[in-house]
Amino acid sequence: MTVGLQWQKNLYENYGLPDNYTDSSFLEQLRRNIKLNNVTLIEAVTFGGTVCIQLNIVILFVIIFIWLYNEWASPNVIFILGVIYTIIGYFLYCLKEPSTLTEFTKHIRTVLIFLTFGYILSPVLKTLTETISTDTIYAMTILMFLVHLIFSKYGPLQISLSDSLSITSSIFGSLMLASRLASPLHAFSLLTVSVQCFVLLPFLIYKLSSKLLISGFLTLSTLYFLLLVSQTLSYVFVATIVFLHFVCPYWYVRCQKYKDNIYGPWDEAVITS
Amino acid sequence: MNVIKHKICMVSDFFYPNMGGVEEHIFNLSQCLMGRGHKVVVLTHSYGDRIGIRYMTNGLKVYYIPVKVFYNQCVLPTMICSIPLIRYIFLREEIQIVHGHSAFSALAHEGMLIGRLMGLKTIFTDHSLFGFADASAILTNKFLEISLADCNHCICVSHTGKENTVLRAKVLKEKVSVIPNAVDTTLFMPDTSKRDDNFITIVIVSRLVYRKGVDLLARIIPDLCSRYENVQFLIAGDGPKRWLIEEVRERNLLQHRVTLLGSLEHSQIRHVLNKGHIFLNTSLTEAYCMAIVEAASCGLQVVSTKVGGIPEVLPPDLIYLVEPTIPALVSGLESAITDYKKGNIRCPFEMHRRISLFYNWFNITKRTEIVYNLVKEESKKNLGQQLASYIQSGVLPYLLVVSLCYIILQVLEILVPRKYIDIAKDYVEINVIHSRGDEKED
Repeated sequence: MTVGLQWQKNLYENYGLPDNYTDSSFLEQLRRNIKLNNVTLIEAVTFGGTVCIQLNIVILFVIIFIWLYNEWASPNVIFILGVIYTIIGYFLYCLKEPSTLTEFTKHIRTVLIFLTFGYILSPVLKTLTETISTDTIYAMTILMFLVHLIFSKYGPLQISLSDSLSITSSIFGSLMLASRLASPLHAFSLLTVSVQCFVLLPFLIYKLSSKLLISGFLTLSTLYFLLLVSQTLSYVFVATIVFLHFVCPYWYVRCQKYKDNIYGPWDEAVITS
Repeated sequence: MNVIKHKICMVSDFFYPNMGGVEEHIFNLSQCLMGRGHKVVVLTHSYGDRIGIRYMTNGLKVYYIPVKVFYNQCVLPTMICSIPLIRYIFLREEIQIVHGHSAFSALAHEGMLIGRLMGLKTIFTDHSLFGFADASAILTNKFLEISLADCNHCICVSHTGKENTVLRAKVLKEKVSVIPNAVDTTLFMPDTSKRDDNFITIVIVSRLVYRKGVDLLARIIPDLCSRYENVQFLIAGDGPKRWLIEEVRERNLLQHRVTLLGSLEHSQIRHVLNKGHIFLNTSLTEAYCMAIVEAASCGLQVVSTKVGGIPEVLPPDLIYLVEPTIPALVSGLESAITDYKKGNIRCPFEMHRRISLFYNWFNITKRTEIVYNLVKEESKKNLGQQLASYIQSGVLPYLLVVSLCYIILQVLEILVPRKYIDIAKDYVEINVIHSRGDEKED
């Protein structure tokens, strides 16, 4: 191969060399793992926490439905408790984001519109899916809540797949559950709680920093209420939480050592704005 | 020296009437190979009502097989459905070498698999670059690795392309040759009389898609138009991102300075290039950029992004290489404009002469012939050895697919025996173009 020619990385010279000649500089520009973004165990567990929070909210909502369905609590009590928590939450949110207070009147108006129309329309909403059999309703609700969990917005880093789909599916799920309740008032209070849980609460949780604390508190309270409903389900719940909160993050951190990204001149350029 | 005559079948999803670099490559390579006395047929899928056998220039026989397009001009890779037809064509044309083109083409991979199982030699030309980061790239790379596990030889169009192919398909580097594309430089003669010297015309010839950097282009145009009064843009090509350029043009009231010509015939490109002073290429990734060679052959100053194989294509004094960012591209264009104003430019005819020395199809064909000769020497592999080479790729279920294809081929051997398949008559040449060196030998 010594033709006295120096190989050049171009296509218009190298006449003396065979075409399948490979120079020693082959793959010199190859780079490995230059943008490695390793997640520590604490970060991973925190991410697991955000998923658990979302799951807890869904389960707590279903527990509220069970209480209303079995008439363990009157809709008035549920409604008033919901309102109290919402007011507390609103002021917590204002503490984190003081600029919201300037639009206080606008928010009050929105709440009044929602409550009025919700109250007027609750008989219609209740009968909307009444003719559908209970089994179908439950199956559909599970499906809708699954969709809600899959498409929820988990943290700022994650790309939210479809935030609106997540909210819509959860509201639709609660609408279907509302049709199983005894009176329009029941349906109204359930829908109010559902809006509070799935629309307003994520805003608040997104602002709060201590995800692990919230997740722990929510898990314990969910567990307490779930024990009143069914013991078997509680075991399943605990197992799921442990899996989501600790096993999956640990697994993810363990798998990171297999990261092997290759970069080179063949990569598509990224347009920076 | 007596040249060995080969019987070659070019297999690819991409062929005329579809337009693009691969199509041109196959057509020109086939023409030159035929000129050197080899037999070449092209196998592709049907395009609209273009089904069956067509003859092109100099009797290039093209089989448009009746398979429906599945996605992006590719057939659905069923692996088994088109075996009878492809086998029939290979036998009928007495093919010895199957030459697949483009990693995106499912038909090329299918044709190569069938060819190998029939004991033919296979060569694959890779025309594109791939990343390694996203899911679709991982999938395509695995597929390519399986497909090339038993390929006799690969051809890449640039050294960067070779590095890329060796990495993603895990083929031996000795089995990969670098043979660039060429440009028919006689079609791209400089003609400075067509230029409008009141303006500095910047020409862009490219499909208007994301990969070609239309988003960069859309931001450069208003920027440059506001800096220079006498700059105008001439854009040839069409694509899904055409609206972006149109929007920019309207928003900045540049209708008189930005002309969109839409998609053009390849023969028209030359006239567009000759109207310009500067050629701009904003590709984000490119294995080998034919457009810049065509532009340089027409004597334009070329400004291009420094991505993929582009730095290898032209010598540094013929190109302004810049990073793929807006400020870099603008400053690259500015230095080209300053050089033009100072008269610090190369003679277009001198540029044309140099390009035609660098790239011509006769040279490329001779180099491809060397690969063909090399492959011809290799010993035939039996089924066991072929299957063994697929094991390396690690996808064991694929062995079943290969075996099934082999069984189908054996069954076809009984149902449609070889001896009952008519051999196609060769096209009798009337006046085939001859390369200069070849005429003496005949």
